[in-house]
Amino acid sequence: MKEIIAIIRPKKVVPTKEALEKLGVPSLTAISVLGRGKQRGIAAELNIDIRPDVLAQGIMAGMKYMEYIPKRLFSIIVRNEDVDIIVETIIKVNQTAEIGDGRIFICPVDDAIRVRTDEQGDSAVL
Amino acid sequence: MKMIRAILRPEAADGVTEGLAEAGFFSLTKINVFGRGKQNGIMVGTTHYDELPKTMIMLVVEDKSVEEVVKLIKYKAYTGHYGDGKIFVTPVDNAYTIRTGAAGL
Repeated sequence: MKEIIAIIRPKKVVPTKEALEKLGVPSLTAISVLGRGKQRGIAAELNIDIRPDVLAQGIMAGMKYMEYIPKRLFSIIVRNEDVDIIVETIIKVNQTAEIGDGRIFICPVDDAIRVRTDEQGDSAVL
Repeated sequence: MKMIRAILRPEAADGVTEGLAEAGFFSLTKINVFGRGKQNGIMVGTTHYDELPKTMIMLVVEDKSVEEVVKLIKYKAYTGHYGDGKIFVTPVDNAYTIRTGAAGL
């Protein structure tokens, strides 16, 4: 089992969820997080429109970048063989060719247990 | 690659992220969380607080940088009292940049 941690734009949450549902992976955990990447949070990668005068104010004050950008974190736990296609789908849906598209991490998971039925392992995540 | 998750005092989080940025680790994710530790929350007078607000900082680094990052977080978050937090290091198999689709950090 693997955990797919995807950090994506809040704007892309609905399309991503729809695409995953078509793949038959409707289960996920979403957390709203703050973050920054290699580019140190440039204001242009923000998903909301900033009034130009406000942006100019910040630049005049010497603020070239924002400290954190609001993002959505998806945690999806899947079987080993499903990882590639899910990663592919997330990348395809979220690509905008601009910086700030996000990142995907794949982490190993030892075991999963479904509380209702006490199932363990792969059958618990299906 | 390793994922480092540090659960810190909210007031210490900014100092830690600034220290990490100075050392060259800009990319990170910040999450506001609630939790309790070994001391089972705190007692203030007669009121018992079960879950305390904390800030979780999550970053993925190459294996060789783990020691440096952990040392930095430990140094910046230290106060010597209960509630300074914990650092967890977990393995990461792979990472992808969505914009380019390329694997790796």
